[in-house]
Amino acid sequence: MLNELLEKLSAITAEAEAMLKAAATAADVENAKNKLTGRNGSLTALAPMMGKIAKEDKPTAGKAFNEAKNTVQSMIEEARGRLGGGKVSTEAIDVTLPGRKWSIGRKHPVNQTIDECCAIFRRMGFTVAAGPEIDTVRNCFDALNAPADHPSRDPKDTFYFDDGRLLRTQTSTVQIRTMLANKPPIRIVSPGRCFRRDTPDATHGVHFHQIEGLYVDKDVSLADLKSTLEAFAVEFFGDSVAIRMRPHFFPFTEPSVECDFSCVMCGGKGCRVCKNSGWLEILGCGMVNPNVLRNVGINPDKWQGFAFGMGIERLTMLKHRIGDLRLFSDNDLRFLKQF
Amino acid sequence: MKVSLNWLKNYIELKSTPEELADTLTMAGLEVEEITRRGEIPAGVVVAKILSREKHPNSDHLSICRVDAGNGNICQIVCGAPNCDAGNVVPLATLGTVFKDPEGGKDFVIGKCKLRGVESFGMMCSERELGISDSHGGLMILPEDYVPGTPLNELIEKDTVYTVEITPNRPDWLSHWGVARDIAALCGGRRSFPNTSVPSPEGFEDWSGLVTVEAQDLCPEYTARVIRGVTVKESPKWLKERLESVGIRSINNIVDITNFVMMEFGEPLHAFDTRFLEGKKIIVRRAQDKEKIVALDGKEYELDNSMLVIADACKPVAIAGVMGGEYSGVLPDTTEVLIESAYFNPTSIRMTSRKLGLSSDSSYRFERGVDRDMLENASSRAVSLILELAGGKLVSPLVKVATLKPEKPRILCHFSKITSLLGMEVPNQRMVEIFRALGLGVSDITDDTCLVTVPAFRADIRETADLAEEVARIHGLDKLPKIPVNAKRTAAFSSDAYAALEQLRNQFIATGLCECVNTSLIDEKAALGDPVFGKDDLLAVSNPISLDLAILRPSLLPGMLATVKRNVSRKNNDLALFEIGRVFCKNREKYPEERDELVILMTGRSHPERYSKERAATYDFYDVKGVLEAVLEARRVSSYAFAAAKDPRFTDGVCARLEIDGKTVGVLGKLNDRMTRGMRLQHDLYGAVLQLEPLMGAEEKSALYVPLSQFPPVTRDVAFIAPLDMENSRVIDFIRKAKVPNLISVEIFDIFKGEPLKEGTKSMAYTLTFRSDERTLTDQEVNDAHEKLRAKLVSGLGVELR
Repeated sequence: MLNELLEKLSAITAEAEAMLKAAATAADVENAKNKLTGRNGSLTALAPMMGKIAKEDKPTAGKAFNEAKNTVQSMIEEARGRLGGGKVSTEAIDVTLPGRKWSIGRKHPVNQTIDECCAIFRRMGFTVAAGPEIDTVRNCFDALNAPADHPSRDPKDTFYFDDGRLLRTQTSTVQIRTMLANKPPIRIVSPGRCFRRDTPDATHGVHFHQIEGLYVDKDVSLADLKSTLEAFAVEFFGDSVAIRMRPHFFPFTEPSVECDFSCVMCGGKGCRVCKNSGWLEILGCGMVNPNVLRNVGINPDKWQGFAFGMGIERLTMLKHRIGDLRLFSDNDLRFLKQF
Repeated sequence: MKVSLNWLKNYIELKSTPEELADTLTMAGLEVEEITRRGEIPAGVVVAKILSREKHPNSDHLSICRVDAGNGNICQIVCGAPNCDAGNVVPLATLGTVFKDPEGGKDFVIGKCKLRGVESFGMMCSERELGISDSHGGLMILPEDYVPGTPLNELIEKDTVYTVEITPNRPDWLSHWGVARDIAALCGGRRSFPNTSVPSPEGFEDWSGLVTVEAQDLCPEYTARVIRGVTVKESPKWLKERLESVGIRSINNIVDITNFVMMEFGEPLHAFDTRFLEGKKIIVRRAQDKEKIVALDGKEYELDNSMLVIADACKPVAIAGVMGGEYSGVLPDTTEVLIESAYFNPTSIRMTSRKLGLSSDSSYRFERGVDRDMLENASSRAVSLILELAGGKLVSPLVKVATLKPEKPRILCHFSKITSLLGMEVPNQRMVEIFRALGLGVSDITDDTCLVTVPAFRADIRETADLAEEVARIHGLDKLPKIPVNAKRTAAFSSDAYAALEQLRNQFIATGLCECVNTSLIDEKAALGDPVFGKDDLLAVSNPISLDLAILRPSLLPGMLATVKRNVSRKNNDLALFEIGRVFCKNREKYPEERDELVILMTGRSHPERYSKERAATYDFYDVKGVLEAVLEARRVSSYAFAAAKDPRFTDGVCARLEIDGKTVGVLGKLNDRMTRGMRLQHDLYGAVLQLEPLMGAEEKSALYVPLSQFPPVTRDVAFIAPLDMENSRVIDFIRKAKVPNLISVEIFDIFKGEPLKEGTKSMAYTLTFRSDERTLTDQEVNDAHEKLRAKLVSGLGVELR
């Protein structure tokens, strides 16, 4: 009896496989289903045989029957899936039509960079400070230890007003304002618009954005600066970015350092963008010149600190591979929507 | 500046490769921007002698030359150079010579060719073609004694030249001797000083009156020496090569020697022909106002009293430290020269150079400050070279007029301050070593301090921080340790000046607007395009780069209108844009000088036509208002209101002002024709102009939880006919003031006019929602309240219930 059942089961399974493979339409599948598991289906018809099986064989028979049933069922489901069979829903829609898309605006890429920089530096304990764009010669040059005849003060390079004030050429003015208004320790970054008297072209404009940092405390060191910038580089450009520091000269820092990031275009192997050096000049930085501290009434024997500054547009252009600065103020919707 | 490695080798042994040394220097602050190889002449270029030159029959500028290429090989070369004269010895690229493209492009191979019908069997070369210099005026002329056929790369010296960027604090690097000093400090080794021995002057002439310095403030030290009987001629090959390697053209032996010493010691010298020194006198004085001089560049300069000149008894002969006068130079028949070696006031030279728009290698060095202690050495070096290369006799002693030299600064250096500034441990002994290698004097060394004496050539070193830089530079910034960044907070986060702005910007973006960033400097016409501002309100820079960029924007509107126009012209027709930015006003009664503003502009379709029955909608007033409402709600500002307003920028009747706490914050509406003229818009333009400050400040306190009612709401409608000018806000206000119990919200859900209603009226319908925090409201009490309100609407608002 058991053997007969097992033979029939395997015959039905084979038949089911043949029928469902041959099925070309959803209707074929439903037909096959009726012939197999329908009320008068061949598999259904075997159920009464189960009662006649010897008691000791029942577990084996039951197991075989269920297996066969499951196999047939899953073959039917598979065929239905293939041929879109089953019941055709009256609610069916074309799910490939476009959605009623909610429109979310985009942040201008320059401000995306500013926000991202601020976020990174906030995580490191910096607070964001701001200041006016029109400022005094004192805040922009004198207090920052720029020599009286320093070329950056020249009206060839800096915009002045009739009353002698100027459009800030760097956000370091905010450093001065912050140090004048607060006692150390001070730890700020200041993003903002700065003005230089450059004729606009693909890499120059009459203004650009900058973010500067200042950290004054009892024992802040050049090593702290390097670690801070390294952390920034990795956060902003990714884990593979390395930095290097080269001595340089700025009136407001001593020692002064220029900081290069390994080229984000070629990974440091050398390319057109990094002029085959593998390095990109990204920022100027250093230890705050003792004269700057004196100028704001902070004793350089007790306090010391670092400062750095970098161009937002440059960071943005490198990050997004943008080749022309003028795109930023062009505000073409197709450009804005890319970021 | 250019630095030749062969030149450096005169003073110090270079142990590393040119690439390694360039890297070492760059990492010590002397940035090598470019490395150039000189004298790498392709194989196949040989010495050749031009035997004859004939005019090309079919060309005005070509010549046909017969050239002896050595080893009995006479060939015909067609040449376009002006100086391919018979007798000249020149370089010849023979057939098969390969020129590599320095940019890495395709090689250039010399082959037999026909030029205008005449065959040519090679190419005679200029210096530029051989990569020797930039000179391309004609063929490179070789010494006559070069034997034809000799490969040129056996005869031309090979050299490596750095182009370096020198920071303004390091004038001592403007010389090979100075660069060699840092190499010694970085790589070890000792420098050997070149020969500066000078014979004692012969003859007993009295030179005491030769030099008078009238303006010692501008010329603290002046020295002169006179050499008689010199022969002006071409410089020897080694001297020419030195100068050419650093980009200086060879002129004659005397001038070349002064330039050589400048590049060697960084001391600009000048050689005067004493024939043209009236009265054989040097007077160093301020120029008279409007005094004129024709300089060596052939141009006439008008001087003023702030400038220093070198004059003879009756006229200026040089603009001191900047450029010599036309008669001051050395001429082919010059026989007696006066060698000037002087120290001029750097600021004075810089101002003079800037005022005249005239700079030179000499002014470049003087304005940065030359080493006063090297003046005499430079003079001696030049004299010794002149005697060697031009002959003659030194006939004067060193005539010197000088003020006292300033005392050398001394710095009490605290070793611990240096390690603290750097954040790295450097042994005291190592610091002392570094200072000494750089030529600083070190004495009185204790465990904590030492006394550093700073020589004249390092005016940039004045205190411990400066010494820290030297230690960092020479010891190496790459040795700075990695230390963890601690996020120690020094100020309250609430003082963050940027967070609120960032949040507000994000909220506008969430409503679907794209952010723009426009320029701050605009032209006057565009600025006045916002009729709220007049000429007196505009803030102008006094030195604009052009009139287009002369005015600080009084409003964001002109920039944003231009942005819309630009986008529409590029068929970006559907726009929902905003900008937050700084604007400026000169009239402080109207606005503060600087403030932040928000402008929104919307035009085109708010959502596109879809495949089903949904129609496209275009932006209108309520989209702009809706954006503002959404943001105000997100910022939990409840005390705001919109009221009809008039504004010169917006269409009458489609304009409102936004008030927060009863104060006007800005206006919104449909931009009128005047504002959109010439923009070729497809659709109406709607927008808003708002002050940012009140919007940012509006959300100071954190929200306080209001318990949620556990009981169901009940709604009732009320509809009535009202006069056409009945504003929604008046109805809402009226109902709110009626203090209906348990009424928690009133919302308009329908409004219409026209048939069957009477003219001058409209129907308005509102949904009233009632809810209690304490219990489920009964129908009875809601109905009572509803009825009372209906009656009040009739009596108080004069409407007719429907």
